[in-house]
Amino acid sequence: MNRILAICGKELRLYFLTPTSYFAFAIYVLMSSFMFYVDFVTYQPSVIDYRLILGDMLFMLLIVVPILTMRLVSEEFRQGTDELLLTSPASVTEVVLGKYLASLGVLLMLLLCNLVYPAIMSLFGTLDMLTLWLSVLAVFLMGAAMMAIGLFASSLSQHQMVSAVAGFVLLLMFWLTGTLVSQNESLAQWIGPFSLPDRISNLTKGVINGPDVIFYVTLALLFVVLSIQVIERKRWR
Amino acid sequence: MLEVKQVSKRYDGGRGVQNIDFSMQRGEIVGFLGPNGAGKTTTMRMITGYLYPTEGTITVDGLSVHDEARRARAKIGYLPETPPLYPDLTVEAYLKFVAKLRGVPAREQKLRIAEMVSRLGLNGREKQSVRHLSKGYKQRLGLAQAIIHQPDLLVLDEPTSGLDPSQIIEIRSLIRELGENHTVLLSTHILQEVGALCDRVLIINRGELVMDGAPDEIGKRMESRFAVSLEVRGERRRVERVLGDWASARGISAEIHRDAEGREAEPVEAGRVLPQDDNVSAALEPELEQSVPEQTAPDETSSVPRPVQAEQPVQSASVVPANSAVPADPASSADGSVRALLTADGHEDFRVELFRLLAEADLPILELHKENLTLEDVFLKLTADNAGSSPVESEAETAAEDFSVEAVSPESPDQTDDGGERR
Repeated sequence: MNRILAICGKELRLYFLTPTSYFAFAIYVLMSSFMFYVDFVTYQPSVIDYRLILGDMLFMLLIVVPILTMRLVSEEFRQGTDELLLTSPASVTEVVLGKYLASLGVLLMLLLCNLVYPAIMSLFGTLDMLTLWLSVLAVFLMGAAMMAIGLFASSLSQHQMVSAVAGFVLLLMFWLTGTLVSQNESLAQWIGPFSLPDRISNLTKGVINGPDVIFYVTLALLFVVLSIQVIERKRWR
Repeated sequence: MLEVKQVSKRYDGGRGVQNIDFSMQRGEIVGFLGPNGAGKTTTMRMITGYLYPTEGTITVDGLSVHDEARRARAKIGYLPETPPLYPDLTVEAYLKFVAKLRGVPAREQKLRIAEMVSRLGLNGREKQSVRHLSKGYKQRLGLAQAIIHQPDLLVLDEPTSGLDPSQIIEIRSLIRELGENHTVLLSTHILQEVGALCDRVLIINRGELVMDGAPDEIGKRMESRFAVSLEVRGERRRVERVLGDWASARGISAEIHRDAEGREAEPVEAGRVLPQDDNVSAALEPELEQSVPEQTAPDETSSVPRPVQAEQPVQSASVVPANSAVPADPASSADGSVRALLTADGHEDFRVELFRLLAEADLPILELHKENLTLEDVFLKLTADNAGSSPVESEAETAAEDFSVEAVSPESPDQTDDGGERR
């Protein structure tokens, strides 16, 4: 556990020592505030509801998550610091979990930035606090799954850019499954459930639907395990 | 301490290491030698658990590096070829991270970091970001990283590569110091380093261990000649005549080096010592070292035919004039001194005889030194032997560039020449 925390601490520190994460945060805040302006100020909805602006913000994660995760493993390979990590008493599982934990920390910070908007909205009416917090939880769960996918993409290459693109493509696939197959009834039945954003609707309505939560958690787990395997495999080559 | 048993690693391309088998005792400093790509790093990576061997087992203090990875790795400190540093962290933050990662108890961490900083001369740089450290300091930090958890076994992959001479000396003395408390396995392709640091040498070539022994012992074991280098004061021609006559009298088909402007030596039969003497000695530089790299020859010597490296007899007497005064006229340079290298087959010690000879001729010996078979020679022999059917070219090239050997292995002078020009 100590080692997980050590790696997590190092990753968080590096997040705020490298310009990339500031860039990602800047994009996120800029775009989401722009969307907030469009959705709330220009459109002037008759109800005060966080969900009105949620959809667009989710989409921003699609761009920001790969930028935030691309560094995680790729950079270790590129700098040769994987030799330090893999020859230390820490297991690959601990290394990957530490990194994943750090990415969750960053995700939490993104969500905190996002809470500015409901705060502003609450000045103009009452927010349903339950749905608000459930929505935040839902976004966190989805973001956690996305971070795991990004982490996995990062472990595939020692070039950050390749990792970022791979992560983006993977995420996009999970994102679009719902819309792409909606025409085909039988296909939609099979592939539709794997769609990332579709799973969120129940939670934002205030319904904690077991399968939805389990979907995100297992997706995150799956990709964390895959990352561990990819890194562990390098020892055998 | 460390047991490496029949370890092989195969890569996709077919290269790797085969059947590496050695063990190390506690407190030993072992040098790991080999040309580039011989498998040094692969072996070290397997020992440290970064790679798993395809076959064989590695144990540290009886703990398998593979099966009891966590406990075994806690006993190992590893400095890879490029120090594994995070350029964005500060020195202090980096050491703190490593200490945590390596499981140094929390209350000891501060103390241990302070100890590392002072021991490796990183004082005053704790708050500096690693990115801005010079290469030497990065190497030190890499070393600090490897010893912060007080490992039993220290594995260093080319710890002195890319450092300037004073830094090399510092790192070496540090390693020597570490060798008092740790078992050290270090790889290098600087052969002097092995002689200076190690109790034992392992030579690896093409993925196989070809030699294992103490550095000086190895030289003796492979010795097949008796060589003496000497510096004699006296007129050049006379020295050459006396030495040449003596050499041929002893049945030595001698070879004379005419080391003009650092060019490769030119073999001449001992009987005809002075063919182009006037011509050449006028262009001689004082005290030319044999290992001086090829320089462009000035105009006077351009008439001298380019030296040809032929298969040379083992027995040889080479005379290299090394006049301290500018020898405008060789006949008048009575104060000059001449360097010579005498080589004979077998182990017969001819130094006494040589002394008498030169004393009778009234040629004072300024320097007399028995040449031992150096690690370079051993190394070249071993690696050349093993080259076998495979392309000799790359082998000779690597050897030449890595060890700055003055006399190129006789089998492949052409290749090395090519290499020099290509580069």
